[in-house]
Amino acid sequence: MVFVETQSLSKRYGNFAALDECTLGVEPGEVFGLLGPNGAGKTTLIRLLLGYLRATSGSATIDGLDCRTRSVAVRRRTAYLPGEARLFRALRGRDVLRFFAEIRSAGSVERSLQLADRLELDLSRLVAFMSTGMRQKLALAVTLAADVPLLILDEPTANLDPSVRASVIDIVAEAKEAGRTVVFSSHVLSEVEEVCDRVAILRRGKLVHTQVMRELRRQHRVRATLREPILDVPAEIADGISVQRRGESSIEIETEELPPLLGWLAALPVDEVNIEPVGLRAVYDRFHRDPSGAA
Amino acid sequence: MMRVLIRRRIHEAKWLLLACSVANIWFCWVRVWIVSRVDTTRFKQILDLLPDDWQKFLTVDFAWMITYPGRVSLAYEELVVVGCISIWAIARGSDCVSGELGRGTMEMLLAQPVSRFAAITTQAMVTIIGTAVVAGSAWVGNWLGILTTSAKQEVTASWQLPIPLPLVGSEIPIPFAEPKTEYIPMTELLDASLFLPATVNLFAFGLMIAGFSAMMSAWDRYRWRTIGIVVGVYFLQSMAKLAGMAIEEISWLSYLTAFTAYEPELAVRVADLTPEFAWSFAITTADGSWQAHGPMTYHCILGGLGLFFYAFAIWIFTRRDLPAPL
Repeated sequence: MVFVETQSLSKRYGNFAALDECTLGVEPGEVFGLLGPNGAGKTTLIRLLLGYLRATSGSATIDGLDCRTRSVAVRRRTAYLPGEARLFRALRGRDVLRFFAEIRSAGSVERSLQLADRLELDLSRLVAFMSTGMRQKLALAVTLAADVPLLILDEPTANLDPSVRASVIDIVAEAKEAGRTVVFSSHVLSEVEEVCDRVAILRRGKLVHTQVMRELRRQHRVRATLREPILDVPAEIADGISVQRRGESSIEIETEELPPLLGWLAALPVDEVNIEPVGLRAVYDRFHRDPSGAA
Repeated sequence: MMRVLIRRRIHEAKWLLLACSVANIWFCWVRVWIVSRVDTTRFKQILDLLPDDWQKFLTVDFAWMITYPGRVSLAYEELVVVGCISIWAIARGSDCVSGELGRGTMEMLLAQPVSRFAAITTQAMVTIIGTAVVAGSAWVGNWLGILTTSAKQEVTASWQLPIPLPLVGSEIPIPFAEPKTEYIPMTELLDASLFLPATVNLFAFGLMIAGFSAMMSAWDRYRWRTIGIVVGVYFLQSMAKLAGMAIEEISWLSYLTAFTAYEPELAVRVADLTPEFAWSFAITTADGSWQAHGPMTYHCILGGLGLFFYAFAIWIFTRRDLPAPL
């Protein structure tokens, strides 16, 4: 069962492909991350899902509903926070929450107010006189208060101070616990790493890699200095590791499972052993910083 | 949901609506008072000095224009009244899509289960009702003016000595007193209902401009560009109407502009002199043959264009891509 699905979804502007043949699926209850630099196609993908844009080719569905033709029904199941949310400037914070709660049949002002309280919002102020961070918090309260099965958050922590960022991450985790599906787009790798179950990496409109975070958390990188040359890797662990020699006396090993490697490592003539999780940064850099990148 | 949206739209528009309506009421009221201060006969003396060429800028004759209904009906051609309805229509029409896109509020609104059709039609409904209110306020101003002012008129003395002219077989009345100034309530000289056709014409004119602005807004991304295009077309249309009226050789220009159908004083004249045709599509002679277009034709051309532009705006908006706010 897939809750969000795209099949060869493309959006072109003349010769420029903002999104190119993107096929992905998000399962119910999953927190799915979208990673990529500006212009990678993350926002285009989200806007296609919400029916703001018409796909050049391909299809997108949410809960089995076509995102273009059944857009209102899709948005009844979805709450969306834009990258830089802009609200009605002439309204006070409380009125904004009331408006968005009333416009949804299942909306609740009380829920919005509770969230606003948690995000330490001053609701008596006019939106026009709120700081960018406060407006973002207000938009978060609007979005997260909606009782819907899918949350689409486009850089939800942009412009927020560290304590509120932590609250947002907690709220996303709570949404996941409640069984809601979350599509989480962000530039902040640590946040994505913390909350996401799976991450899609986009580059120049193409989906270049999908990473299951549980697998990534098992992967480790070992760096060590050699006292003498090492023999070949034993056959029983060779499948799960890659060894790269860095010069005469250094070695870097990447492993999918750390425990089988440790025994062999203990027997090696090595000094200054450094073991660390591979982390999302390494995966991201593989596609966006490595000039010979796999993409 | 529609109720919530409409409430929001009213909240957005209320101050502009109030300002335009108050300006119209105040201006028309004061204008009726000014009309009541100037004696009709004196007005005729001024108009007699104008060259005959001036007649071609009017769709009604000078003789009727100097009457109270004629002079009051000119309010509908005044800058304040035309300006208020134009400002309202352009401001609200241009805001419906490109305005909201520019402010970024469309993004959040359409993230809710709100169809694009509902988003634009609620805005259009409030704009159209507001146009009726702004146009109606001009009538209210006239009505208040008629209700509260009295016309100043010079009346010759009633006691006169008739001097017979034997050769002609006639008499010359010689007044034995100075002419008297009398104040006659405007309600005795004018019926406010005469201005209802002009008010409808003003409303239809506003509807056309609002519809055109909404259509450009639905197509555009930047509100300043929408307003620029609308104002540019507005001036071109005005110039086409004026040039068509002024120069015989290019009179066909007046058929290229919808502004030709904005003829409030003609609507008042028809209501004043031939009230049976005040709401007709055609004015006919006694034997039933066609004589001229009736005021309803003018209203329907303008109103129909406005509704067509709105329908086209909805068609564009429900099909276009919505870019991310800048």
